[in-house]
Amino acid sequence: MRRPSKACPFCETRVRFVDYKDERTLGRFITDHGKILPSRLSGVCARHQRQLSTAVKRARYLALIPYTKGLQG
Amino acid sequence: MPRTYEAVYVFDSTLEDTAVTEKLDRFHELLGTSGEMKVDHWGRRQLAYPIGPRENGYYVIARFDAEAAGLPEYERALKLDDSVIRHLITTFDNEVGAPPMTEEELALAKKRGDDDDDDEE
Repeated sequence: MRRPSKACPFCETRVRFVDYKDERTLGRFITDHGKILPSRLSGVCARHQRQLSTAVKRARYLALIPYTKGLQG
Repeated sequence: MPRTYEAVYVFDSTLEDTAVTEKLDRFHELLGTSGEMKVDHWGRRQLAYPIGPRENGYYVIARFDAEAAGLPEYERALKLDDSVIRHLITTFDNEVGAPPMTEEELALAKKRGDDDDDDEE
């Protein structure tokens, strides 16, 4: 049995390309430890998930979002 | 054929604002473009993680049309400048700069997605 698929949050807002500079949005798609959230949890479509993956990596390089977090101590 | 590029620079935050503008002018001169130049100063903000001794950076976003042949020299200058902590040059046209999706395209993408969604559990 197939679950009804969640609507992709990027498609819903008509985003054509995920912006690596928008750390607010990217922040919604990373876990508490800073990993990229799997699309099965976020409902992001395959195309936008690919873009998101690149965007997160670019943002990490520019120190807009951390590589890891919540692991101190 | 010139393409539109977007560059993000992260400067050392101890640099004076005037020095940043000066450096930007020098870099952009290397591109040899006469077209319009969009420069957006985000200013100083905290880095998500410390880079060496630095906790803050001065962010600048620039958008410009340039010939691909002029880019290597420009990027070399960026790499050699110690006050540029990080830089990223990306193409703008078909990426971030693309217009929002229209309703028809959305419907089309949705239809296609339903057919071959390989990431379903």
